[in-house]
Formats: sequence, C-alpha cells, structure tokens
Amino acid sequence: MADGLGVFLTVIATVIGSLAVIFSTSYMKGEKQLGRYYAFVLFFIGAMAGLVLTSNMLLMFFFWEITALCSYALISFNNDDPKAVRGGMKALIITSVGGVGLLLGAMLLYIYNGSLDFNTFLADSSKVPANVLGILAFGFLIAAAAKSAQFPFQTWLPDAMEAPSPISALIHAATMVNAGVYLLARFYPAFADVPGWRDAVMVVGVLSALMAAIMALVSNDLKRVLAYSTVSQLGYMVYAIGTGNILGSQFHLLSHSIFKALLFLGAGAVIHSVGTRDMTLMGGVGKKLPFVKWTFLIGALALSGIPILNGFWSKEMILEGGLTGGSIVYYGVMVFVAGLTALYTLRMVWMVFYGDPRSDYHAHPTELAMKVALAPLAFGALVSWLIIGRFSTMLEKSLPYHSLEALGIRGMVHEVVSWPTLIALGVITLGILCWVFREKLTGLKKALNWMRWLAEHSFGFEAINTGVVDGVNASAEGLRVTQTGLLSWNLLAVLGTIIIFFTLFAVGA
Amino acid sequence: MKTDLMTIGLIGIPLVASPIIYLLGRWTARTRRILGMSLAKLLSLLVLVVEGALLFLSVMVWTQGGTVKATIGDVLVGLDGMGLMVGAIAVVLGFCVILFSFAYMKDENGEEKYYALLMALIGSIIGLGCAQDLFNLWVWFELMAVSSFFLVAFYNEQPASLEAGFKYLVQSALGSTLVLFGIAILFGITGTVGLWNIWATVSNHSPLVYVAGGLIVVGFGIKAALVPLHTWLPDAHSQAPSGISAMLSGIVIEAGLVAMLRSLSILAQSQFPAGTVLLVFGCINILFGNLLAFRQVEVKRLLAFSSVAQVGYMLVGFGVAVLSSSYVAAAGGFFHMMTHAMMKGLAFLAAGAFLYVLHIGKGDHAPLVMDDLNGASRKYPVVAFFLSLALLGLGGLPPMAGFMSKWQILVATASVKSTLMICVIVFVALNSVLSLGYYVPMINRMYRLTPSETVAAGMPVNWVMIVPMVILTLGILAFGIWPGWANLLNYNAAASFLYPFGL
Repeated sequence: MADGLGVFLTVIATVIGSLAVIFSTSYMKGEKQLGRYYAFVLFFIGAMAGLVLTSNMLLMFFFWEITALCSYALISFNNDDPKAVRGGMKALIITSVGGVGLLLGAMLLYIYNGSLDFNTFLADSSKVPANVLGILAFGFLIAAAAKSAQFPFQTWLPDAMEAPSPISALIHAATMVNAGVYLLARFYPAFADVPGWRDAVMVVGVLSALMAAIMALVSNDLKRVLAYSTVSQLGYMVYAIGTGNILGSQFHLLSHSIFKALLFLGAGAVIHSVGTRDMTLMGGVGKKLPFVKWTFLIGALALSGIPILNGFWSKEMILEGGLTGGSIVYYGVMVFVAGLTALYTLRMVWMVFYGDPRSDYHAHPTELAMKVALAPLAFGALVSWLIIGRFSTMLEKSLPYHSLEALGIRGMVHEVVSWPTLIALGVITLGILCWVFREKLTGLKKALNWMRWLAEHSFGFEAINTGVVDGVNASAEGLRVTQTGLLSWNLLAVLGTIIIFFTLFAVGA
Repeated sequence: MKTDLMTIGLIGIPLVASPIIYLLGRWTARTRRILGMSLAKLLSLLVLVVEGALLFLSVMVWTQGGTVKATIGDVLVGLDGMGLMVGAIAVVLGFCVILFSFAYMKDENGEEKYYALLMALIGSIIGLGCAQDLFNLWVWFELMAVSSFFLVAFYNEQPASLEAGFKYLVQSALGSTLVLFGIAILFGITGTVGLWNIWATVSNHSPLVYVAGGLIVVGFGIKAALVPLHTWLPDAHSQAPSGISAMLSGIVIEAGLVAMLRSLSILAQSQFPAGTVLLVFGCINILFGNLLAFRQVEVKRLLAFSSVAQVGYMLVGFGVAVLSSSYVAAAGGFFHMMTHAMMKGLAFLAAGAFLYVLHIGKGDHAPLVMDDLNGASRKYPVVAFFLSLALLGLGGLPPMAGFMSKWQILVATASVKSTLMICVIVFVALNSVLSLGYYVPMINRMYRLTPSETVAAGMPVNWVMIVPMVILTLGILAFGIWPGWANLLNYNAAASFLYPFGL
C-alpha cells in the first residue's frame, strides 16, 4: 500500500541509495569482497522500501529486522577491525532490543485488531483497550528510539561510524535511522491521546537533541561529530511528532536526509583523500579539495539552519510547532540546541577545511564519481524546500487519519517569517559568535569543563552498556560450572529434578 | 492402495533395509567391497525416497478422508499428524545427512555400520511417531536410543567420543527406566497401555497420575534436553560425527519431545499441569541454553547448547497451546521443530564440512574451535555463507524460516491476552536477541580477510557435501518467505496433539 509517507521515504531510500552506490564505486575501489558489500546495500534499499510501503504489521517487523541485519553486516564490513565488529554487533543488539517493543506492539495490535493491516487500526482504535493501547504506544516508542538512536539508546550510532562512509550516509543518516521517526509519525493518530505518550516523545526528542549536540561539540572525530549531529537532528523530528507537528517532522526528515547524506559523503571524500578521520590532524583541506569544501559548506549551512537553505525552513517549522504543541521549556531547549548546532557545525567546518594543515597529510584529488554524487545533493539542500506545496498536499491527500493541512510556499514563508524565528536566528547567530570569539571565552570554557568530561563519557550511557555486557558475560561464564562433565553430577541433577517435581506436586496437590 | 500395507511398509522398510545395508557393506573381497558399499549407500538413499513417497501417499489418503493404520498382531500402529511431522523431518534430514556422509565418512572404518545404524535410527523415529500405545512408544524410543548410542561413539578409538557415548548411554538409560516406571504406574491405574484407553480412564485425579506424569516428563525430558537434564547433550553432539550431530539436534531430541507430548496428551483429563510444566521448562531452557552457549569456543559445543535454547522455544509454544487451548501455538511449536531441524541441520553440516576439511580429513580429531573459522570465507565462500545463513536463522532474523516460526509461537502467546504472557513474550524475544550475541561473532570471524593458519592449510570441499546444504538452505529461505507452505504439517500435528485436550 503506497501513501505519501511511504512513497517519499521510498524515494529518499532509492535516490540517496543510488548516489551512495555511485559514490562507492570510487570510495570502495580496491577493497576486497565487494560483492558482499553491494549485495547488502541493495538488499538494504529493498528492505527499507518494503518497510515504509507495507501496511502489514508482520511485514513491517520483517523488513524492520532485515534493515537491522543489513546495517550490522555493513557496519562490520571490515571484519578484521575489532572496532568495526563491535560497532556492528552493538547496532544489531541495541536495535533488536528495541525491536522487541515493535514485536510486542505488532502482535497485540494484530490480536486485538483482528487484522495485521494497521490501517483498520488507525481508522478505529476503539477495539484496543486503553491499557493495551498504552503498551502499544510505549512499545513503539522504545522501538523507534532504538532504531533512530534516541535517548536512551543513542550509543550505537556513533560506534556505527566504523562503517564505510557511503553506508553512514545511506543507512545511518538518510534512511534506516529515520524508520523510528516514520513509525511514530505513522501511528501518531492512534497514540496521540494515550496519557503521557506525547510528553514522553517530546522528552525523548529534547534529551537526544541536547545531549548529542553537546557531545558533537567535544568530539574530534569527523564522522562521530556527524553521527552526534544526526542523533540531535533526529531528536528534532521526534520532538516535532510529540508536539503533533507531523508535517514539520517529515519535512525536516526530507531536508535532513539530503543535507546529512551530503555531509557524510563529503566527509567520506575528505577521509578518502586525507586518510584519517581525526579532525585535529586536518586543517586547510579546503584548499586541496575546493569542490568538496563548497558542497560540504552548503550542507553545513543547511544543518545550522541558515536561511534560505532547506534545513532552515524545516527546523523553523518544527520550532513554530513546538511553541504551541508543547511546554515552553522544551521549546527553549530546542532553540538553545539550534545555537549549539550552529556552533559545532562551524567548529567542524573550520577544523577540517580552514586554517593551516596540522599534520603532514597528502590529499588526493576528488574523483569524478564522488562529485557526481555530491552535486545533486548540494543542489537539493539549496532548493528542496521549494517543494513544500506538493509535499504537504501529497501527505494531506494520502494520509486520511493524520488530519494534516497542506501548506504552500507562501503559507510556509508566512508561518516561518515571524518573531520566534528571529529569536531562533538570534540564538544561531549567538552560536556562531561563540565560535568567532572563542579565544575570548576561555573562562566560559573552563567553567564548563565538567560538562565536557560528561559528554566525553557519553553521559554515562556507555558505562551502562558495558555493565550489561559484562553482566551477561559474567553470568554466562559463571554458569559454565554447571556443566561439570562428571556423570555423577549429571545424574544428581536428574534426581534433583524428580525430587523437586514430587515436592511441588505434594505441596500443590 | 491398501493403507495397512502402507503403514507396515512405512515402519518396516527402513528396519529391513538396515541389516541389508550392513551386509552389502560387509561383502568381502576388496573390489566387491567398494561395489557393495556403493550399493549400500544407494540403497539407503532409495529407502528414504520410498519413505518420503509413502508419507506423501499417506497425506493423499488423509485428504480423501481415510486413515493410515494397521494392526500387527495385537499392536495397533497408525500415522497421525505428529507422526507425519517427525517422520517427514527424519526422512528429509536423514536424506541430507546420508548424502553428506558419502563424503564425510568415506575413509572411516566400519562405514557400513554407520549407514545401517543411521537407517535403524530413522526407522525407529518413524515408528515412534506411529506408535498408538505407551508400551510401543517406549520400545521405539529405546530402539532410537540404542541405535544412536553407537553412532555417538562412532569414533571408537577416541577417548572423548567414548566418554560422550558412555554418558549419553547412562543418562538415556536412566531416562528410559523412569519412563518405564511411569508407564507401569499408568498401567497399574488403568489396566491398559492403549493411548485412548488411558485417556478415557485417568479422569479421576489420583496422586499416582502425578507421579506417573512427573516420571514421564523427566524420563523423556532427558532425551529432549530439558534443563537441568541436558548435561549429556553437549558432549554427545560435539563428539558424534557431524551428520549424527545434525540428526541428534534436528530430530532425535525432538522425537523425545514428541514422545513426551504424546504421553502428556493422554493425561489431558487428569489434573496434571502439563501446560505449566512445559512453559516453565521452556523458559528455563531458553535462558540457560543461551547463557551456556554464550562463552563456548568450540563450534559444535556452541551449537549443541543452542539446541537446548531452541527446544525451549518449542516448549513455550506447546506450553501455551495446552494452557490456552491454542492450535496456533501448537502449530508454531511444531513449525519451529521443523525450521530448527533445517537450520540446525544446516549449521551442523556446515560446521561438519569445516571440521572435515580442516581437521578430520587429515586424520586429526581436534575439535573445531572459533579461531579456526577466522577468514574461512576466503577459501570456502559457499560453506561460510551457508553457516552464516543458518546461524542468522537460528537467531531469528528474517528472511530465514526461524523468524517466522518464532513469530508464530509468540503471536499465539500474545493471543492469550494476559499480562503474564506479555512478560513471556518479552522474555523470549529478549533471549532471542541475546542469542545473536553468540551467533553473530562467528559470522564476523568467517568474513575476515586474513585466513587462519588452519584455513590456509585446509583441503578443498567435496561437492557432495555441498548438495545437502543447498537443499536445506533452499528450505530455510522458502519457509521464511512462504511460511504457509508448512501449514499442512504444522496444523495436522497440532490437531493430533491437542485432540485429546478436547479440541
């Protein structure tokens, strides 16, 4: 079943997928086992299209897990690198743990709704009792948060950056991580009235956006900065859904797919050329790679929310919606994060492309296939906001349960050009000024050192992950003593079972 | 066609073929021995094809409203849904294993014994499925156990293999004794061993029924690898020739489970809490099986522990089926039995192929450890792919069949609509994720670029080993994408399991 939501996500998956494949032809040149690479990329694109086009809960979960499988296989494409293997497994395990929420939700939906088709459920959710609806709503939220790398599951995405750059652009920026946002947007009409659900969604979005933006500010790894920024921008979309602003969230999803894919592919071109991901070793790359610099800059401006690029319009739409849809505190935080975004983006661009080289790198010129992939994305980042009229009409016409209102360009301009936007732009400018006058703000920097320490330790979430893994390993290791290999103990276990059985029956019967 | 002849043929042919295979293989003079052995191998394949055809004909008879049963002397035997299920798995998996063994066992001493015993094993499993009274059920169960002892200890010059066989023998014998006690008690109460006669007379709940039920659960549970009765299993699975590991894990422990289900179903009218027992053992099995597999470094031992966990999923399905009178749950349990046979069969055959080309083929009986697999895909891309596919399927990832069978079990659990069952779903699903934690690193190892020294020194894979793996792989993918194809087997098996419970 194809509707506007599914169709536009399919278009993103296939178009950006094609560009990523084109980019790969030069990025992956010389690697071994490329058959495996391209097979999984295509398998992924197909699964992603299936995931957003189906209206069947079983198929949705089916494709949901296939995308996780492909993501895992591609992150750990380079199996000789233990970090890549760890990153891939982490992504698979964390998204699958979240997937349990979708599994449970899908099953309960099927059982109470009597049909696997979720449209009948969206049309009339009264067949599902309120408490079950609650399980559904929060189960889907858990699944979405895990898939979209949101609080408290955000830790897998930065580690997924061990993947080849085109994969980061395709799976971990433009498509798969949006599946969570898609899920929430899709089921919003049914869950909006579940008590506490919208607030929970907003909190998840706000916390993810804020924490990830701070982490992006202190990281020196180019791809990790982009990963944190993805988490942060996905936080905006999730927040927008919480405020009931489905159109804004989906429009930002579109903008973000374009400019973040652009940034990742640009970063890939830089990394391919310079041979490192560490920004402290770069500097002055812009002189060697002018084409990459200009396209990257367009993406960076869009990410920062500078008019008139696509990121500006969609982000402002989300903030406008936040003003009426949720608490003013959340709104304030999100505006603040917009400033942080501008700050970390500028820091990244500066460290990579400007200044003097900080190491003795040797930059290869950009290859044609890379330019072919970058150019359309840069163009898209400039103009994609012009399609808002068609985009919103499509969503309005094909999503009967969301009661969206179509918005023309004029309408959008009218909505966006207002005093709150000025505040947001002011904060963004403040962020930029912070970078410009960074030499004079050493006092502030020192005062925030504790925050830096927290951010570098991922606010303790990495410690939780390690704790869980260690716990499982320790209990698994501990249980090995039960396999004594001695026959007498084995027989004792049988005897013990019989005794327990009879005791239970004697007590119970 | 006469259905009683069909039934007798179904049960009798493998048992008659078994000694013939042995004798053909023993056919003296050197040149003729090779001829005889080839004939023996061909005969074993042929027998399984005939068995498959007979099973297919039985289904045809059913669809025309007939029944497939016969009376031999005083003993009634008949094929029902559960019998068809175990029979079909045994025949298909057996076919693959025999084909695989053509290459795997070709230099072993006593090859003829191997095929003869394997045929007896398959025949006894089919017989177990057709038994209509408790005593015969037990006899077939014993025959299955006896033929598998020798197969487990087939490498009779390896101490580890003998040790494994001995443990298996002792624990299995203890199990058989307990079952026999249980049957004796039921016979004492009801004066009969016929399944339906017992079903009709145990309705009053004498405490003795509990004792009998408990003994039957524990007795058959040793074979079905219920935790903590599973301790024989890792040794036996890892020391047996790989084809036998596939049989043990794919159908022998499941045959024990089916025997248990059959015995419990005739206690349906008593108060014996069969559903709770199955469900609780299921959860314990899943958790312990996964945790025990987690830190294993020997590939076949890891797969063995994973069987413990996989049996747990089936138990959950059957437990829910009994507790909530759900066809879907029982069908899910049987579906998982089937998909697990394919996936674990494939995993053991692929691991066996590695074991053969890396160790056994060179006369070295060292176990296949994780480090041996490093970079295996560089030299053995096909086998590595099959092993990966089997492992991902066992972990429950689509588009492999394991995803669909787990889904069916859990969806039936959800349909009970109770908080407890929601907890069970979450528990089972999280454990399924946990299992990825030990399946997945194996795959990563195989796709490293630098092969381990063992791999570098490995022999080429014989294509005869590849053919059965291709069959199983196609099955896994087909049932993962079109799970409905299995409904005929699943729902018939579920019906014959749940019929005594009044469904």
